[in-house]
Amino acid sequence: MVNVETQGLRKSFGDTEVLKGIDLRVPEGSFAVLVGPSGCGKSTLLRLLAGLEQATEGTILFGGEDVTAYAPKDRDVAMVFQSYALYPHMTVRDNLAFGLKLRKTAADIIDARVTEAAAVLGLEPLLERFPRALSGGQRQRVAMGRAIVRRSKLFLFDEPLSNLDPALRTQVRVDIRKQHDRLGATSIYVTHDQVEAMTLADLLFVLSEGEVQQVGSPLEVYEDPANRFVAGFVGSPAMNFIDGCRVSADGAAVLVAERRLPLPPSEGREPSKLAGREVCVGVRPHDMSIVEASAHAIPFTPSILETLGPEVHAHGTFGAHEGVVAVSADLPLARGVMVHVRPTRLYLFDQATGATLR
Amino acid sequence: MIRLRAWRWLAALACLLAASALGTSPARATSPPVPDASAPLTIWHAYRGVEQATLDALLASYDGDVEVLAIPYDAFGSKLAAAIPLGEGPDLFIDSHERLGDFIHRGLVAPLPPDALEEAAYAPQALTAVTLPDTEGHPRRWAAPMSMKSLALYVNTELLPEVPATLEGFEALTETLPEGVFPLAWEANSAYAHAAILGAYGIELLTAEGDFGMRGDAAARSLQLVMDLLDAKVLPEDADGALVADLFRSGKAAAVISGPWLAGDLPASLHYEIRRLPAIGDAAQHRASGATPETEESPAPMRPLLTVESLMLSPRGATHPRAAALLAHLTSAEAGRRRARDARALSARTDAPPPSADAFLRAFQAQAAVATPMPAVRAMRAVWEPASRAIRKTLRRDVTPAKALEEAARRFQEVRRPPPPPKDPTFFLAILGALSLFGALTLLHRARQPAMRARLRASLPAYRYVIHGVLLVGLLVLGPILVGAATALFAGQPHQMYYVGLDNFVDILTARSGPLFASGSFYLVLIVTVAWTACNVVLHLAIGVTLALVLSRPLLKLKSVYRVLLIVPWSVPSYVTALAWKGMFHRQFGAVTGIIQSVNDVFGTEIEPIAWFATFSTSFAANLTTNVWLGFPFMMVVTLGALTAVPKDVLEAAEVDGATPLQRLWHVTLPMIKPTMIPATVLGSIWTFNMFNVVFLVSGGEPDGTTDILISEAYRWAFTREARYGYAAAYAVLIFLILAGASTAGARWIDRSKERA
Amino acid sequence: MTARAIANNVLSHALLLVAVAFALYPVLWVVALAFSGDSVPTARAIPVPTAPTMDHLREVVSTTRPTPDGGTAWLFGRQLANSLLVSIATALVGVGVAIPVAYALARFEFVGKSGGMATLLATQMFPAVASAVPLFIMLEAMGLLNTRTGLILCYASTSVPFAIFQLRGAFETIPVDLEEAAMVDGASRFEAFVRVVLPVAKPAIAVTFLFAFMTAYNEFILAATLLSDESMFTLPVVLQRFIGEYDAQWEAFAAGALVVSVPVMALFYLLQKHMVAGLGAGGVKG
Repeated sequence: MVNVETQGLRKSFGDTEVLKGIDLRVPEGSFAVLVGPSGCGKSTLLRLLAGLEQATEGTILFGGEDVTAYAPKDRDVAMVFQSYALYPHMTVRDNLAFGLKLRKTAADIIDARVTEAAAVLGLEPLLERFPRALSGGQRQRVAMGRAIVRRSKLFLFDEPLSNLDPALRTQVRVDIRKQHDRLGATSIYVTHDQVEAMTLADLLFVLSEGEVQQVGSPLEVYEDPANRFVAGFVGSPAMNFIDGCRVSADGAAVLVAERRLPLPPSEGREPSKLAGREVCVGVRPHDMSIVEASAHAIPFTPSILETLGPEVHAHGTFGAHEGVVAVSADLPLARGVMVHVRPTRLYLFDQATGATLR
Repeated sequence: MIRLRAWRWLAALACLLAASALGTSPARATSPPVPDASAPLTIWHAYRGVEQATLDALLASYDGDVEVLAIPYDAFGSKLAAAIPLGEGPDLFIDSHERLGDFIHRGLVAPLPPDALEEAAYAPQALTAVTLPDTEGHPRRWAAPMSMKSLALYVNTELLPEVPATLEGFEALTETLPEGVFPLAWEANSAYAHAAILGAYGIELLTAEGDFGMRGDAAARSLQLVMDLLDAKVLPEDADGALVADLFRSGKAAAVISGPWLAGDLPASLHYEIRRLPAIGDAAQHRASGATPETEESPAPMRPLLTVESLMLSPRGATHPRAAALLAHLTSAEAGRRRARDARALSARTDAPPPSADAFLRAFQAQAAVATPMPAVRAMRAVWEPASRAIRKTLRRDVTPAKALEEAARRFQEVRRPPPPPKDPTFFLAILGALSLFGALTLLHRARQPAMRARLRASLPAYRYVIHGVLLVGLLVLGPILVGAATALFAGQPHQMYYVGLDNFVDILTARSGPLFASGSFYLVLIVTVAWTACNVVLHLAIGVTLALVLSRPLLKLKSVYRVLLIVPWSVPSYVTALAWKGMFHRQFGAVTGIIQSVNDVFGTEIEPIAWFATFSTSFAANLTTNVWLGFPFMMVVTLGALTAVPKDVLEAAEVDGATPLQRLWHVTLPMIKPTMIPATVLGSIWTFNMFNVVFLVSGGEPDGTTDILISEAYRWAFTREARYGYAAAYAVLIFLILAGASTAGARWIDRSKERA
Repeated sequence: MTARAIANNVLSHALLLVAVAFALYPVLWVVALAFSGDSVPTARAIPVPTAPTMDHLREVVSTTRPTPDGGTAWLFGRQLANSLLVSIATALVGVGVAIPVAYALARFEFVGKSGGMATLLATQMFPAVASAVPLFIMLEAMGLLNTRTGLILCYASTSVPFAIFQLRGAFETIPVDLEEAAMVDGASRFEAFVRVVLPVAKPAIAVTFLFAFMTAYNEFILAATLLSDESMFTLPVVLQRFIGEYDAQWEAFAAGALVVSVPVMALFYLLQKHMVAGLGAGGVKG
């Protein structure tokens, strides 16, 4: 249990700057998730925290202690790798015990911890097997177990679920969160899957192009994205963006597909600043509903319907823009319909910078 | 355990650097041997069997501390040459007198003290044999003769109660002897044996003036005579020593010409006698013009070469106070008698004659009286290769005797050509110094740049992993290579080398001023080498990949059995299997001929046995077969490994896409194993390019040196011709440059094709 | 099985049998020669010993030498032990030196890396003919002439470049994750290398070991030149003693060759599975 902090962390490989000054603050005992598309630098950041890469600039603090120059073994972190990295020449038992042996832990303690971890993860019947004789899910549990036995203050997860099939993923996700809650150690989890990120995180760090775009609880990030990138990345299906819309001169409405959508006054929004600007309008698919006709509705032409049981994702076009609308499955969709947007759920982004406009 | 003192390493390194920097031979740095009376005497020899036992017994009866070492004959000369100059060699050693010239030249042997020999007690030809001029031109005795060996006639008395008096007389025997029995056999291909016939014609291999002696009409007639005997089936073809012995032992040759060493191989049940070599009727009428007329005997008797096995003193031995006593003990009359009795060796001393009951030795004694001592001067070393080639070429009917001999004389001249004159190394040293200075400054400059320093600092952990490897490889692999490469700029003997600039290279690259594509020229040999490498690598790959593909079929049974059996060629030492292959390619008695005969028997065909080493193409094919046999398991195993990494789903995808098995192989499997195969092929090519063993042991360059590759040419210059290390080193450097150039170009080409892809 | 599959199978076995015959035929001649009592020169197609006997084998293995205390010692046994000692030590030193170098080449970026690789390849191109004499002089300067240590160092250093190529390829196929996991688990880089990478690379190391072993085990020129004491000779030197200036005891030579080959064949048999994996898993990547 330790709080993790980084200050101005930079990392370059040759001429490519992968991390452009990251300031991270992960409180003690929380479950932080670093999420972002591939290539955003999230794995590098994790490896810097583990000590597997050396920072080009900046500091890393564990519980206030500067560990920037520490070797991995001196940082007392546990890590679960995407590939699990099980030692192929060791049995499951030895895999679990290896970290403890390296730290010269007494044999009886090792035994006890291994037995406990095996019990928690249901690995008892597999202890004498070699990794090659295990299924994917079993391997993942061994990798987890290897981290658990260490009783580290900090757990690092590098996309630990990406090699599992979807059904297993949900279950293991729940298991990971359970173990976190049981052990209470600080966890930092890297993923590109925003569903995983949303469901697991206490604290979400959205990364893009080597920079933290937004920090917050999953709900905060979902409800109040800091910019167009975060808005588009978080939430499924992704938010619809309609470029080139103009805000009315009074700042009380925005013109989308030649329809006026009212902009209700909301906290922090200053209509005067928006008046007459060209903006990008963002609407989440779940924030739209099909209506017969309404002054504040925009036309939508569905082309493909994805049925997910209770709801349907309708892909189609708003005028000249592609988009998705999530609707209830029992609603008939005609060729051309009107969709109504909940005015409070309308997001406006700066056309040039992508920053959220309030 | 390996415990080395650091200072010794440093001393060695310093010595090496100093030596290469000064451009002198490193050996000069070593100190002269220090005599030490209390040190045990060491004696080296290459004796085997009873000769070894007799020597051991003689040494046991000597009252003194003697260390004796028996060395394989093949390594004897090079070991002496390597050890004696460093003071590490023996005090005394036993070798044939004919190497004295070379040994004197290299300073491996010291003259005997003036009164060391009881001159009166020795056979005169033995004394002649060990007498040679020293470096100042004064004749000296260089060794104490021990025993004399020459060829004589072994006669199977059951098959041949009456021995023809002349060589021509054996011809008639083809009719009286049982089917399949040759009247006579000897190593007709060897210049050593042919010298006996030349002797009858009054010709010596090396003239008194040191010129090639095998010339003129009489020499040509001597070859014609052997050809006639072969035609008349008096002699077996391509007989080597082992075959001659086997034929006689098994009663398939009524008489053979061989030396005393053959007797040890003969079973007690065989009834045989030793006779003097027959005379040659033809020779009596056609003696060489310059030769002294034969008066006592007509027709002219064959005169074999006489070898005098002698005890020699190394320079260190000459200073050892007890060496003379041991020398006297081992060459005493008593010792001679003992050797005659136990080892059946003909003593060089007249006061140790063979026992009267020993008809065997007496016959050899009689033969020795009409034998010519083999010339011991250095020029003799240059005789063997051209003479033997000429003989083989003629006997194969490739050219007329006269033509072959002309060529041999030219070859002899080529080898005997004086080495290039010394040059002033100042220019070279200046260039070298300037280059090193420039290099050092550049390095220093680069190391001082901040970016470079950061990189160097980041490299430190890696250096901790490689430092010992760099030291070991640098010291024991790179060091000798650099010094070896540097010798290419020198000429002369290892311990008196002098700088000659690039003359060695010029000489090689201008084909020694001969035609650029003459036999043995650099360019022709290079073409052969490239063809050799290409054929080998293609076949290694084709066979290796094919077998690996078959072996990796999922449903195949007995996979591991096949795998084990197919790598057997790899596990037997290659110098053994290469010799086995050579035996299999023997024209008359080889297994390949056996197979041809079986095929003929079964199918009623009439395929002629092939004389494998008679033409370039068959000889090349024989070498190739051997090397392909040796090399395909490596490629097979590499391919098998690479195939395990080809994912099944890709192949299945290709199958779904409708690719035929052949298309799958070509478009999917082969491209996927390419990354593994390319480096293996590169290494394989380099090894094949320098695959000395096979060429040397199987064809030995036959016919006429055409199947030699660059490395065997380098080897010949270094060891069998006149020990021109500088010349050999120049070959080695050229080989290196060719390989380095080819692999760089190859790598570029691969990179470019990758970019295109 | 379809008719086509059967045909394919038959064809495969036929091809393999031909290859096996080609591979074994010369070796069988060596075997036949080793057990032949007399050698009657006839052209035969089938290698069987004539007048079978074990004499040659016995002759080869039963050499003795007198000991200082008046008894006799089993010389062949001593020489076999020498061969094994020298070859195993060579392999240990050669592979031991090559392992960390290969690891560094596979895992680290450092100044001089590509130059080093090129130099290693270059050492394979330069013929030994020209470097033998300087090597001898160097060993003399180090006082290692006529010592097994000197011989071992020579062999080991010549086996190092190939061993490095081999092992570098093998290390490159091992996922970096494994070492990183070990380092996070509390190992230093070196510990991760020793306790994780080495055990995982064991098959490749075994094969490299075998190659280094063979370089030393089959070599005789250097051994005969460097060693000047019969009780230090290795088996190939002993074997070569059957070939004299004028004649050769081919049967004994063949018998000796068989004796010499047995340990190598046994090692090959034991390691053949790994050999495929070791050489193949990117084994000889240049």
